[in-house]
Amino acid sequence: MYATMTGITFVILLGVIFISTTRFMRHQIDDSVNNEVEEILAVSPGRDIDAIRQMVQGLAQHPSGFYYLLQDSKGLAQAGNLPAVDPQPGIREWGETTKAGNSVLSAIRGRGVILPGAYLFVGWSTHQLLEMEEMVVGTFAWGLAASIVLALAGGLIMSGRLMHRIETISMTSRSIIGEDLQQRLPVTRAGDELDHLAGSINAMLDRIAALMNDLRQVTTDIAHDLRTPLTRLRQRLELAVRPDEDSAAARLTLASAVVEIDSILSIFSALLRIAQIESGNRRIGFKVVPLSELLGTTAELYRPMAEENGQLLIEAIEPSLHVNGERELLMQLFANLLENALRHTPRGSTVSIVARRIDRRAQVSVIDNGPGIPESLRGKVLQRFFRLESSRTTVGNGLGLSMANAIVKVHDATLELADAAPGLRATVLLETS
Amino acid sequence: MRILLVEDDAETAYYISRGLSEDGHNISTARDGREGLRLAGSEDWDLLIVDRMLPEMDGLSMVQALRGAGRITPVLFLTTLGGVDDRVHGLNAGADDYLVKPFSFAELLARVAALGRRSPRLAVETNLKIADLEIDLLARTVVRGGAPIELLPREFRLLEYLMKHAEQTVTRTMLLENVWDVHFEPNTTVVETHISRLRSKIDRGKSIPLIHTLRGTGYTLRVPI
Repeated sequence: MYATMTGITFVILLGVIFISTTRFMRHQIDDSVNNEVEEILAVSPGRDIDAIRQMVQGLAQHPSGFYYLLQDSKGLAQAGNLPAVDPQPGIREWGETTKAGNSVLSAIRGRGVILPGAYLFVGWSTHQLLEMEEMVVGTFAWGLAASIVLALAGGLIMSGRLMHRIETISMTSRSIIGEDLQQRLPVTRAGDELDHLAGSINAMLDRIAALMNDLRQVTTDIAHDLRTPLTRLRQRLELAVRPDEDSAAARLTLASAVVEIDSILSIFSALLRIAQIESGNRRIGFKVVPLSELLGTTAELYRPMAEENGQLLIEAIEPSLHVNGERELLMQLFANLLENALRHTPRGSTVSIVARRIDRRAQVSVIDNGPGIPESLRGKVLQRFFRLESSRTTVGNGLGLSMANAIVKVHDATLELADAAPGLRATVLLETS
Repeated sequence: MRILLVEDDAETAYYISRGLSEDGHNISTARDGREGLRLAGSEDWDLLIVDRMLPEMDGLSMVQALRGAGRITPVLFLTTLGGVDDRVHGLNAGADDYLVKPFSFAELLARVAALGRRSPRLAVETNLKIADLEIDLLARTVVRGGAPIELLPREFRLLEYLMKHAEQTVTRTMLLENVWDVHFEPNTTVVETHISRLRSKIDRGKSIPLIHTLRGTGYTLRVPI
């Protein structure tokens, strides 16, 4: 491929050189021949054939590279060092083996002039020109061959180096698969496509490493968070199976064990839901969801509870907002945010749900005037099981906001927690449809 | 009711069939989807309870095949914990209701009762009446003891659902699913607060309360015995 390209380039280049060189040389010949003709004719402005013949004879005796011919109207050579030719005016050229009338002229380029009763021709050998042409063509052939060889060799070296780098990448990948997720592919200073690829793969590895780390963290967290309820459960069951436990008391203990198990199951259920939401391509099932209506329903769902808790729930929802998504998940998202606000603010607090269109996006904020979340911990509350020390005693499993975050991610939306001074402002930005 | 249970796990099958028998139902069990489909097609059942994951033929395909054959026997689909899409898939396949495993027995009994009561007659009824409480589904009006009661739209839907399932147990999740179309577990007091508002409009000042709380299970609308 490279060799072909190089070859074609070479052919074009040399073709240009060849044509321009020979044209230049012919031009040179034409110029000198013209001068010589002018000089001969200058001898006799009256075009006296005898004067011209003497001049030509004189010149032909000391040829300085020029060829001369003066022939009469019958086609017989009168003077000069060339045989008679067919009298044609203007620039004419005979190649190496060209016949000129009944004589052979070879490798001559010159100019003919018709004079009264005569024909004058002054020529110059084109041997040099032909040699030059031959030389150019020869060089050209050699050059072409050399360039193809060079291109092939270069290509081999290049692809060899490429193969080597690919092999390195492949080896490193294999060793990453094998054990060490901390290894990264080498990125050279070349900054070429391969480096680009290696960079992308490295970024992917970073992400995988982060996910693995997350997974490890979650596993630890799950184990940690389930230890307490499982321990309690075990104690209760152990109490219930004591031989001296009367059956009514045992029944009560078992009933409380069922409640305990339900809370453990709700943790599992939430974890599985988060995992399911995060995995797979859910966007396929997305539909146009009437957001304003959905937010109204959600607020309405919680209103009696808020009022019973002495909290004020304010709705400021712009009508007819629509987004692309999964209704069930979006409802859970806003329910979680709302529930979170209602749960962590005291009696007498105000919780507002505000939705409006900003350009091509819908902005939904759930704002409370409760204790809020310190700035340093706002990122952490989105992690699974993270709970603020102050809310350890309230109900909840520390999964509400991480589920909200998972739902936001599937919808290509953003969830931002900010200071509502005082309180928390959770803002979701969704693309409108 | 004659109920066919299609469940491959022996322990779960035993637990469900024993509980349902004690509740007065007549249970048969199939262990895989193929057998389930054969039994469902060859005999008359009031209800099918079908697990999502089954050997031979999974629950979804079984229900699809059954519906494809023109059988309209009500189907209660059992799905697994955390299966976000199982409910939608199950309902699309032709199931009438779904229940997420593990479930409480009270929940199962309530769902079974609700499905068993579905009859064509009930579906076209536009006036429902229990004791002196009457609702008109077309005019969206509620009257108790001759006096009209103003309800918010959602309160009306809540009462309508309770009326349609009068004297049955209606669980919190049944209400969430059917009245609000909510398919996750919000705070436990959410439904309770709505019921207590409805109760204050329907039962306040009346000598006979109609809306009753069944502790740990749900609610029921009935004339107290």
